[in-house]
Amino acid sequence: MVNLTIDGKQITTAKTSTIYEAAKENGIYIPVLCYAKKLLPYGACRICLVEVEQMKGRLIPSCTTPVTEGMVVTTLSDEIRKVRKTVLEFLLVNHVVDCPVCDKGGECDLQDLTYEYEVVTNRFEGEKFDLPTDEVNPLIERNMNRCVLCGKCVRVCDEVVGYGSYSFINRGFETKIATAFDRGLNCEFCGQCVSMCPVGAILPRPFKFKARPWQLKEVDSVCGYCGNGCTVTLGVKDNQVQTIRFNEDTGVNHGNLCVRGRFGYSYVNDSKRLTKPLIRKGGELKEASWDEAFATITEKFKTAGKDLGIISGARLTNEELLLLKRVSSAIGTQNLDHSGGECYKGLTEGLKETMGISASTGTFPQVEKCDAILAIRSDFYETHPVFGMVINQAIRLNDAQLAVIADKRGKLSKLPNARTLIHKPGCEINMINALCQVIIAEGLAQTAGLQGITELTKALADYTPEAVAGMVGADAEAIKKTARELANAQNAAIVVAYGLPYTAYSKEIAIAAANLALLTGIAGRDGSGLYLCGEKANSQGAVDLQIIPGPAGLGAQQVLSTAAEGKLPVLYLVGEDPLVSYPDQTLVKKALEKTFLVVQDLFMTDSAKYADIVLPAASFAEKEGTFTNAERRIQRLRAGIKSPGEAKTDFAIFQQLLDKLQKTAPTTPAAAFSELTAEVSGYTDIIYEQIGAQGQVWGGETLVPVKKVLVPVAGMEPLQADYQLLVGSALYHSGTVSTRSKGPMSVCPEPYIEFNRDDAATFGVTTGEMVQLKADGVAIQAKVKVDNRLPKGVLFAPYHFGELGLNKIYKGQSVIAVEPGKI
Amino acid sequence: MTENVQQVEEQVEELEEIDLTAANEVIDKYIDMHGNLMPVLQGIQEAYGYIPEVTVHLAAERLNVYASQIYGVLTFYAQFHLKPRGKYIIRVCMGTACHVKGAGRIGDAIVDRLGIGHAETTEDLKFTAEYVACIGACGMAPVIMVNDATYGSITVQKTAEVIEKYKAMD
Repeated sequence: MVNLTIDGKQITTAKTSTIYEAAKENGIYIPVLCYAKKLLPYGACRICLVEVEQMKGRLIPSCTTPVTEGMVVTTLSDEIRKVRKTVLEFLLVNHVVDCPVCDKGGECDLQDLTYEYEVVTNRFEGEKFDLPTDEVNPLIERNMNRCVLCGKCVRVCDEVVGYGSYSFINRGFETKIATAFDRGLNCEFCGQCVSMCPVGAILPRPFKFKARPWQLKEVDSVCGYCGNGCTVTLGVKDNQVQTIRFNEDTGVNHGNLCVRGRFGYSYVNDSKRLTKPLIRKGGELKEASWDEAFATITEKFKTAGKDLGIISGARLTNEELLLLKRVSSAIGTQNLDHSGGECYKGLTEGLKETMGISASTGTFPQVEKCDAILAIRSDFYETHPVFGMVINQAIRLNDAQLAVIADKRGKLSKLPNARTLIHKPGCEINMINALCQVIIAEGLAQTAGLQGITELTKALADYTPEAVAGMVGADAEAIKKTARELANAQNAAIVVAYGLPYTAYSKEIAIAAANLALLTGIAGRDGSGLYLCGEKANSQGAVDLQIIPGPAGLGAQQVLSTAAEGKLPVLYLVGEDPLVSYPDQTLVKKALEKTFLVVQDLFMTDSAKYADIVLPAASFAEKEGTFTNAERRIQRLRAGIKSPGEAKTDFAIFQQLLDKLQKTAPTTPAAAFSELTAEVSGYTDIIYEQIGAQGQVWGGETLVPVKKVLVPVAGMEPLQADYQLLVGSALYHSGTVSTRSKGPMSVCPEPYIEFNRDDAATFGVTTGEMVQLKADGVAIQAKVKVDNRLPKGVLFAPYHFGELGLNKIYKGQSVIAVEPGKI
Repeated sequence: MTENVQQVEEQVEELEEIDLTAANEVIDKYIDMHGNLMPVLQGIQEAYGYIPEVTVHLAAERLNVYASQIYGVLTFYAQFHLKPRGKYIIRVCMGTACHVKGAGRIGDAIVDRLGIGHAETTEDLKFTAEYVACIGACGMAPVIMVNDATYGSITVQKTAEVIEKYKAMD
């Protein structure tokens, strides 16, 4: 610790602090333009200049100067005031002062400082910039005439996002921020630059002219898309979410957001939202009253009894899931499941078997401090974009070594220090086994307290790096290097994503990863961790609350197949659209047709069209309650708006259902939470009202395995087929909800099939042309997208779009043999 | 609006067909060197006479540097050129001494004769004009250079003659 004096105040602060940080911690105000908490110090704007007694005679930028013992700092004096005013005058020489039409007006740092320093006249004169506005893309507008060259957009895009859209170009007066070759912005559209810009130079286009900042009610909640659980701040006006803002100060994941979180909110306000219950009468769905709907449902559910099937989505809050469980037990059914039933088995069966727990063992902030990271299967920049940023931070700030075991290259592969171990599709387990083999063979394993090491050693005899490399087409040396890094790292992370498009071998992959985590000591060691990240906002909560079939119950897949056989009288779908997102569309369709179907959703989804009763539910922006993210962080949602029409939150619907079933239900989410803390292990002692901005991580920062059992798991035979299709998640989308949001749809509007350049050339197709894929006699068609990240012979298709009918050929396998053909 | 995004993509896609062998060789040479961007770009410019856009994307990919960053470097340094340049580079000194002695009129004379101002190239790729600060020959002001040859105490008339001379050359 270091002692110093700022403005006469005695301060003790960390040795690594800068003057600015020390002042801020102690409530002393220093103005800044180019400083941002999550970026490296830069010192470009010279607004934060202060006087330091020991360095008399010149002014010092407080944001880049580290504190030293005995420093005496003055943050404001006549001299400082004069200099800051001059800096502002310089900035205003060529800045267009178009505040009346600038969306930043009212929260613009330059505007505020100009006001604060009373820059009424300018002693300098110069040319105003007259650069064209970049409005080529639909989401981010750039008006470089308003730019103050703080470089925050350049830095955030590099340091955090790892995309590198921007750079300073030219020199001197002509310096400006531009993309490569000064074209229109064409990037991932995460909008991190929007949130960083201190002026109105980079703005969210969908929010243009919607509201002045002070007219917005700001409500901190949790993003409703993926399992990262980023804090989103709803900007509400006229009972509509007008924009999503970020919370840099107290937000989880540093207020970082991706394209879905920031721009994927419009579905909440969509006029196509369901507003009234619908009941099928005379073959058609007709508007009905809630009373009528509840009466029919209660009767149907009661008659079905133990044969009722319930499939839930993983975007319900913990409290809602608790009530759903109560509904299922009130009816007496054990056929309760979520998210397709298969993909989460890595947690509920894989980790359970090996470590006796069903959750990730560490937290994201710990990943940032790791020195070795292994990412398996999914490109986190696509499935969990902000987790990708966490990994990037580990590399930038901690020089972490990243290894990626994947069937295709992705953005993770482009990060500095990244080593991508490409293998044949579907063979992740072989790769992980090879890593385990190396660790055991080279004596690097931490065997203390491990059970089953002999069996595993024996089982892995055939998985030498050379053998695996030969079989799955990877590089043996790279496998060895990665294994050694993971074993020798002080802090290491193994990260795996799961979700509906990644259902194959989820249990086996988790077991293989757990073996590796146990052998390296990563599981349960402080600072290290094994992460299994769910696809949806409350995937972890659904597992914690055990939204899984009871001992005699049917899982989601069996529920559907039983229904398809005509043996399941009633099916209750809550926030799921299996017809689009579950494997095997033919089976799902048959199931939905043959059962009495109750669908509870926001929209008339493809599945809802088969329903006998449709209940209008509420979006995340209308809910109170909690989500548990992929690092076990329990966070509170806060309602920003009211639901449209008669739509109700799932909580209210379950409450009334329980009431009709003569069961008592907690009256508020807070009451429900306190009931669930008694039921859910790990949640004990957590008090709803005390869950703060950073949420609360159940089980502590490091979750210690209950047991340590190594379980041998066999690798897979590579698929023998000339063309193999991978199914997955696209960066711009999450599940099917994002396809109802203008933001994601404006940049990724339709399904596509990705080809590598060589394969595209073989079939004579280019981006935008239609192509057909045939598998098992079924054909699907979509536009081609040519990219250079896939190995030859491997194709990729995102699963979010109903119109593609991908699940006509996707039946849950890890890779599909297909015959592509030009149309 | 999505069409616009596609247009940008196409812009990048539709880059000129350029043989990348030379650029790849330059990159191969420096790939393991720390701080290799400048020598790579200089090498590419030497091989192609300018920096074609495809080579920027190639270097970005192979050196794992953002294309935007390379573009920043290219536009910062006056030594890099993003468009093909003429065979003969006419440097017109605009330094103090030349300025006083009427360098502006020399520049105008080149515009009159060749239709090219500062940093512009004739369509036949024969001439590029460049207005430079001082070439260190103030005693001979006003002065121009054509590639390595210096022409001092130049007049509008003499400029025309010099241009004609190079026009006649191959």
